[in-house]
Amino acid sequence: MGYAVVGQRVPRVDAREKVSGRALFTGDMTLPHMLVGKVLRSPYAHAQIVRIDTTKARSLPGVKAVLTFEDVPKIPWNSAGFPPSPGAILMEDQYILTDKVRYVGDGLAAVAAVDEETANRALELIEVEYEVLPALMDMEAAMAEDAPLIHAAPQNVMAHMPIVIGDVDQGFADADIVFEDTYYVPKVYQVSMEPCGVAMAAPDMDGRVTIWTSTQMPHLVRGITAHALGLSTSQVRIIKPPVGGAFGSRLGVVNEPIAALLAIKAGKPVMLKYSREESFLATESRHPIKMILKTGIKKDGTFTARQMTAYIDGGAYATHTPSFAGPVAGWFLAMYKSPNIKVDNYSVYTNSTQCGAFRGYGNPQVVFAVESQVDDIAAALGLDPLEIRLKNHPCAGEVWMWSSWVIESCGLDEGIKRASEAIGWGEKRNKQERLEYAQGNGITADSTKKRGVGMAYMMHVSGARPMLHETSAAVVKINEDGKANLIYSNSDCGQGAGTALTQVAAEELGLNYEDVFITKTADTDVAGFDIGSHASRQAYSGGNAVKKAAAAAKEKLLAMASEILEVPAADLEVAEGMIRVRQEPEREISVAEVSHKAHFGSHGHQIIGAVSEEPPGNPPVYAAQFVEVEVDTETGVIEVLKVVAAHDVGTAINPAVVEGQIEGAIQQGIGYALTEEYRYHPGTGKPLNANFTDYKILTAVDMPEVETILVEASSESGPFGAKSVGESGLVATAAAIANAVYDAVGIRIKELPLTPEKVLAALEQKGN
Amino acid sequence: MKREIVLKVNGESYQVYVSPEKMLLDVIREDLQLTGTKKGCEAGECGACTVLMDGRPVNSCMVLAFDAVGREIVTIEGVGGLEGLHPIQEALVEHGAVQCGYCTPGIVMTAKALLDSDPNPTEEEVRKALAGNLCRCTGYVKIVEAVMDVSKQISESPELREKLSQSQEFGAKTVGR
Repeated sequence: MGYAVVGQRVPRVDAREKVSGRALFTGDMTLPHMLVGKVLRSPYAHAQIVRIDTTKARSLPGVKAVLTFEDVPKIPWNSAGFPPSPGAILMEDQYILTDKVRYVGDGLAAVAAVDEETANRALELIEVEYEVLPALMDMEAAMAEDAPLIHAAPQNVMAHMPIVIGDVDQGFADADIVFEDTYYVPKVYQVSMEPCGVAMAAPDMDGRVTIWTSTQMPHLVRGITAHALGLSTSQVRIIKPPVGGAFGSRLGVVNEPIAALLAIKAGKPVMLKYSREESFLATESRHPIKMILKTGIKKDGTFTARQMTAYIDGGAYATHTPSFAGPVAGWFLAMYKSPNIKVDNYSVYTNSTQCGAFRGYGNPQVVFAVESQVDDIAAALGLDPLEIRLKNHPCAGEVWMWSSWVIESCGLDEGIKRASEAIGWGEKRNKQERLEYAQGNGITADSTKKRGVGMAYMMHVSGARPMLHETSAAVVKINEDGKANLIYSNSDCGQGAGTALTQVAAEELGLNYEDVFITKTADTDVAGFDIGSHASRQAYSGGNAVKKAAAAAKEKLLAMASEILEVPAADLEVAEGMIRVRQEPEREISVAEVSHKAHFGSHGHQIIGAVSEEPPGNPPVYAAQFVEVEVDTETGVIEVLKVVAAHDVGTAINPAVVEGQIEGAIQQGIGYALTEEYRYHPGTGKPLNANFTDYKILTAVDMPEVETILVEASSESGPFGAKSVGESGLVATAAAIANAVYDAVGIRIKELPLTPEKVLAALEQKGN
Repeated sequence: MKREIVLKVNGESYQVYVSPEKMLLDVIREDLQLTGTKKGCEAGECGACTVLMDGRPVNSCMVLAFDAVGREIVTIEGVGGLEGLHPIQEALVEHGAVQCGYCTPGIVMTAKALLDSDPNPTEEEVRKALAGNLCRCTGYVKIVEAVMDVSKQISESPELREKLSQSQEFGAKTVGR
């Protein structure tokens, strides 16, 4: 492709400060006279607060502020980080603190005190009397005719979204076979290593409040926080230091309004840091969904009708859920072509912690169901699992139903080919060959350990257009030494977006990577409006703005150089900080010299390029993931032996960053498949595993070999052809594992995670 | 009742005035302002707070500050800085093994303890050593690659081995308890 910086495995812009422990995260900071904030949380899943008395807490020496529902602005708000857009359905059902608790951990009071010990003692001194209501811990209970209402929504259904394309009844009548299956996926947590919920707020003398916060969305959090506080947007300043992982958990407001209100009331800076347990208890997670899939198909593998009825457990507050139902429908609609499609989505309140965004945003849920069923369909019809997918997936040049826009590029077919070869698909799917292969590994036909291979495919987005706005802004300024600053609302949470955007700017400017400096910290008083990190958008949407800002600066740079060199600007090119006449490369001048002349010559100006705009499209990405598993039929334990992940990401701006995204997402995907499930006591609604001992994520010992294959089907509209990668690696992992288990032992488990208990029960059922 | 104790951290002695129930992690972060050591769970489950105590990796959230008296403590700040990074840190940077960076200081300390005691571990031994350090970003792929790479560098370069065992800025004085 001939790029100088794009496509290079340059070290990350923030790697050295992180590896040396010098990076200052929000929780590492301190301000003079800073107070410690703490939140009083409900021990009940559902209760009305009858009486709350804070007298004793307020009189404790060292306590500087105590807040309850009485003290918060009576402005309902919604925590989800959405820009006002056609696809944003923002039901406002939250207050900064509540007078009716709706889950165990719901915040009902907050204190700020001189130290943690005093703050904790103050919490103990707050007297609360509850009228306990029945805990509605699953959707059936919540939707029952006589169920108490969590909010005002009848039968606790917050939203219903029906979508019909064509005539599914006719489609099912036209089918040779109709498949109907029910799938269930549980709640899982993002568990970034920095616990979710850390904010430091400081009021100033001008009626403004500055909040340092570990967030994915500086500008949108500014707006929502201001609204919740009854301030205007510009009265809040958000500063985003390095973020210790996010994966969707910080996709909107977490605890910024509580920290800000405590700081305003106390008149002093307040640090509000959630513990690991609190971040489980009180922050957003992945939606559990019950999905009923009905699919009609011809014997040749042509779909005649596809239907999904989904019940989405949103938890105690609406936040993302009514909007989230849109992409859930979109993932389903857009995966396979069919003339008749119907979706019915119900979003339901329950007394569990509210759900929000987690890498994949509904896609891992839907892909688990769809790809499990497609695998069964292929087996029932005697079709090759690869062929049925190749025959029915949307291709380049076709309209993608998620966005209703034409697909710019598609690398799926190549990905399936390369990944299937890498896993040894042909020989391992062949039962006879597999037996011989297994014997080579010391496994005999009557061994209790059985191996199998499976695969699943997925498509994902590069931003959320046209459902949501995808504005980004970038300013590139060239300094008098010829190096450049990139001013950007850098919402990098570890994924490497800041590095990729620096590469985009350097490539466009013709500077060396080391000579471009991105603002590592996002500051809403400095950088232009940016949506933030969601929907895998940074490389594509942010990259679009950065590339154009760099191009604008370059145009001015070349105009200046053209005056100096007395050649038309069109005849000039820039590379590695030198501007040369294309046909006479010996005629050259450095960017530094031109910039110095711009600053201090007769012109007297700095060369600056500035852009704020939405990207032109939303090119989908594709992935095919193949896995090999070994199932122990005596213990029910599934071991993933190898994952091969072929991802069409468009141009990989930094292959090491891209691989890192896929590898990390696969760790989360295997957890989703095998070990992770956040559980509540069905009667009391108390969380059962809000810690790392009982909520199991994979360790270095548990991770299998991962082989990533990058298929670079460059987009037409993306910066240097980039599309996206952030979420994709998680999406198809659980489905591929479930399909490999089916291949190994012939059992189909339709509920995640695939625990040993479920495996043994399914094996027993199959044996009978 | 708060009491004065002396802690030896990164080769320096610090007098601190702390209550007996205060954990080493909190003293390191709050009293010594060494914030490179991270708090991830406060229960000894995640490894983000790993420091070396007499050369061995410990979860500093599970160690009482009083129990660290008389021990040689090394935190991430004692391993590499402006003057240069430790080869483990360089390898993590070069391999793209750092994402959010929150677990990274703990990973560096654990990897250092491993390679100080066994410069040529197998991949399985590396994974076992790192099993107490949770990472949610990388799938451990590039972290393990980086540690194996340093091991290879050490085995190929006696000079590097010598340098690591003598150079104080790499926290070497605690090696070989």
